[in-house]
Amino acid sequence: MIEFKDVSLVYPNGTQGLKDVNITIEDGEFVVIVGLSGAGKSTLIRSINRLVSPTSGELIVDNDNILKYRGRKLRKLRTKIGMIFQNYNLVRRSSVFKNVLAGRLGHTGTLRSVFNFFSKDDKALAYESLKRVNIEDKLYSRADELSGGQQQRVSIARVLTQKPKYILADEPVASLDPPTSHQVMKYLKKINQEDGITTIVNLHFIDMAMEYADRIIGMRAGEVVFDGPASEVTEKTFEEIYGRSIRDEDFVGGAEEDQDDSVKGAEEDGEGNE
Amino acid sequence: MVKEMNKPSLAEDKYAPMLSPWRVKSKIAIIFFIVLFFLFFSSTRTGVDFGTLLSGLSNMGQITDKLLPPNWGIVGPAMERLIETIHMAIIATTFAVLVVIPVSLLAAQNINSNKIVYNITRFIMNILRTIPDIVLAVIFVGLFGIGVFGGIVALFVFSLGILAKLISETIESIDMEPVEAMRASGASTIQAIAFAVVPQVLPQFSSFSLYVFEINVRASVVIGLVGAGGIGNLMMTRFGFNDYNSVFTIIIIIFVVVVLIEYISGKIREAIV
Repeated sequence: MIEFKDVSLVYPNGTQGLKDVNITIEDGEFVVIVGLSGAGKSTLIRSINRLVSPTSGELIVDNDNILKYRGRKLRKLRTKIGMIFQNYNLVRRSSVFKNVLAGRLGHTGTLRSVFNFFSKDDKALAYESLKRVNIEDKLYSRADELSGGQQQRVSIARVLTQKPKYILADEPVASLDPPTSHQVMKYLKKINQEDGITTIVNLHFIDMAMEYADRIIGMRAGEVVFDGPASEVTEKTFEEIYGRSIRDEDFVGGAEEDQDDSVKGAEEDGEGNE
Repeated sequence: MVKEMNKPSLAEDKYAPMLSPWRVKSKIAIIFFIVLFFLFFSSTRTGVDFGTLLSGLSNMGQITDKLLPPNWGIVGPAMERLIETIHMAIIATTFAVLVVIPVSLLAAQNINSNKIVYNITRFIMNILRTIPDIVLAVIFVGLFGIGVFGGIVALFVFSLGILAKLISETIESIDMEPVEAMRASGASTIQAIAFAVVPQVLPQFSSFSLYVFEINVRASVVIGLVGAGGIGNLMMTRFGFNDYNSVFTIIIIIFVVVVLIEYISGKIREAIV
């Protein structure tokens, strides 16, 4: 369970990243955080594995306040939180297999890993993870030989190899085309359902959020402005979260039921991309 | 668009004043006279003139008379000392390459977040790099006595300075995103370096190491002149005996071997990067 209690974050340059955030995320939930860029989605997600450090409040993960964690304790926390990035963050020159094995680093001794002595179980797990995202045939390819969608699947396999309790995905589909985006989201959803891994995803596409989320948290200017089940969310809700009318660029498209939305969005377009 | 890109012809009035030929010409003339003045000033102060160059060139005949014919008898001992020179370069390069790994990580801003250690490392490496190889050789031959050992230490320090600069800059230019991913998954700093930094810098690292080896072969000839062992040492001794025919043979051997090593190492580096 993840619990934000009055969490605020002020960056050294004075920017307010988070403002009195109070949310509780239960185990096994699939939460999508929406908001415009700069709304604090990234800051919120990165607080959970302490890639950024909130400046006040309490952040409880599994009944312990993680904001005071340092060194070994912080590393231990991070081993149970997998992260997926917008730019996949693979080592481009390394093989797919080595990239996926890197998921085990937190569980492996420094000396063993530096000399590439991974246990048989770890290697088997890495291969199984690749199989789950259907990319095991690229095992020995270099990461930079793969397409964007394939690279994101490898990074999902890396997270699976980590055997995390939580998965954080920071704009996982922002660099992908619509069909690939849906594919990646489907894998994330599948993993959430099959393994019961709590998953928190940052998105800015309205249709994707509504399609995949169990629960949607809306953010604006560092504050949580909406929190509720995805079934209660309408486009009106998004207009409130975004603080403006909905545009074409807020939809990724690519799924059948989104046809109408895309057309409607196109009519309102004309203000250009961000 | 295309029309605008066309060069304006000089006949077009509105462009003509912009060229302002007199201002440009007078500027160039002033710069020319300043350069001429410095040239004249330096040469009178040092007593160097073209006359010296000409009379020196006429001495070429004398030198070639002394150098020719090459003394092929020296080839055996020369090869022995040349191999010693190469050994020196190999040992010095190997140790420098090993030591430069932690040093370059400490001298890379994106890896070492400790500003003080970073600046101290940079500072020491910058100082090392400003000392010429031959000065290092004089220092270490003075410390360890005439012979190979002082030469190796001098080459080691010399190549460490160059490598630290080249490799720390390579490290600073890597993509930090995979490093972030490793840190986010609970990897330690050393693990993140081994998995996310090393693969990114390995090709350049190998290439620079070979390059420094090339430099070391050449430098070890030079530092031999001040008693740091190797073929440079032999050349100096022969010079002392006015045995120019042997000196000439040694020069030929050095030339052939240096060119050969640079060619091979250049080919390997091309293949790596």
